[in-house]
Amino acid sequence: MELAFETNGLTKRFDSVTALDGIDLKVRRPSIVGLLGRNGSGKTTLIQHLMGLHLPAEGSVTTLGRPSAELGHDELIRIGYVPQDIRLLDWMTVEQHLRYVSCFYPAWDREREQRLTAELELDVDKPVGALSTGNLQKLAIILAVCHHPRLLILDEPVSDLDPIVRGKLLEFLLELLREDEATILVSSHVLRDVEKIVDWVICLDHGNVVTDAALDELKELYSEWRVLSTNGNLPERFSESFVLTQEVSGRQARLLVKQGTSEVNTFRKTHGVEVTERSLNLEEMFPILVGMRSS
Amino acid sequence: MILVVDPHSGIPVYRQLVEQIRFSVASGLLDPGEEIPSTRSLSARLGVNPMTISKAFGLLEEEGVLERRPGRPHIVRERRKGTVRSTRLEQLEQALRPVATKTRQLNLEPDTAVQIFRRLLEDEKR
Repeated sequence: MELAFETNGLTKRFDSVTALDGIDLKVRRPSIVGLLGRNGSGKTTLIQHLMGLHLPAEGSVTTLGRPSAELGHDELIRIGYVPQDIRLLDWMTVEQHLRYVSCFYPAWDREREQRLTAELELDVDKPVGALSTGNLQKLAIILAVCHHPRLLILDEPVSDLDPIVRGKLLEFLLELLREDEATILVSSHVLRDVEKIVDWVICLDHGNVVTDAALDELKELYSEWRVLSTNGNLPERFSESFVLTQEVSGRQARLLVKQGTSEVNTFRKTHGVEVTERSLNLEEMFPILVGMRSS
Repeated sequence: MILVVDPHSGIPVYRQLVEQIRFSVASGLLDPGEEIPSTRSLSARLGVNPMTISKAFGLLEEEGVLERRPGRPHIVRERRKGTVRSTRLEQLEQALRPVATKTRQLNLEPDTAVQIFRRLLEDEKR
């Protein structure tokens, strides 16, 4: 298995704040990984470590097989990065900026560049300084993908794009996975977009990894049980350890459970109830994944 | 073959695909020997991760629904008559399970439920 990046005990402190607290991750290639977490959970700090923009206080980071502190030409020409805070050269036109950046990459794909500027409807004659936030995001994305990166890191890449453009972009990311066998790490709060394309989910909370699993596994693990008693009232509280949240009202209850279907029959018999199961989607399980469940 | 997936359902997309293809084969919408679109083309068409599609195909291979051919798209596997019938029955049972739950929740007698089911089957025929 080829790894896109790996961290071992990665720890970073800013003064008294521990931004990353012993992060252990192995991310394979190819894959599309959603990096999720609330604001301030450490997502951007982690990303910056992968790029070698921060160095770990403790532990290690290896990106495309090389310690991130030593990333050189060979690795950098195979990484694409769209930061949250996009800074480009305002005085160039879009076309000039594309030409300028393309010089750094031997594998620059002019055809892909032209196709993307057309598909994403970006006016190449406009000065970069005159672009709207959305168009600036489009340009930053195009600049990050035309050299066929093996690792593409997108930090909140779609927040200012309209649904049509977001859709096109998601389709393109899948193409990148198929054609370039890239690993794409997407940090985003737009969970519906993430859910459409990712195969893997990493969740951070207060600098810790709280989830590191395949999306399908998570969907099979977390579900909602609607419980209806067939023989009188339900207990005031269910004490099963897989019950994460519960709302009990007379003969009815709604539970969020961390449990595949295997326990459902035992549960039915133990409590004399009928259970209707429904799997949770990513948006519904997010509060559980980041440890914000209100029990 | 028309496949539709809802990526925002809690049901993993690979399961949605497995169920639809299984149904298409069991109901005869797909004939034995018929070619299934490739992983790559389905990924592009449905806008889902190719790994999801491989996973669905892998499971259907294990079940004996699809047959893998090196370097070429999967085909629907030839099956014995008995197997065809038993998979049809399995699928019906699976679809009826929630109905059974609802019947018990509503406290209705099995005979009444069966009567309703029979009437619905006959209504549909007309």
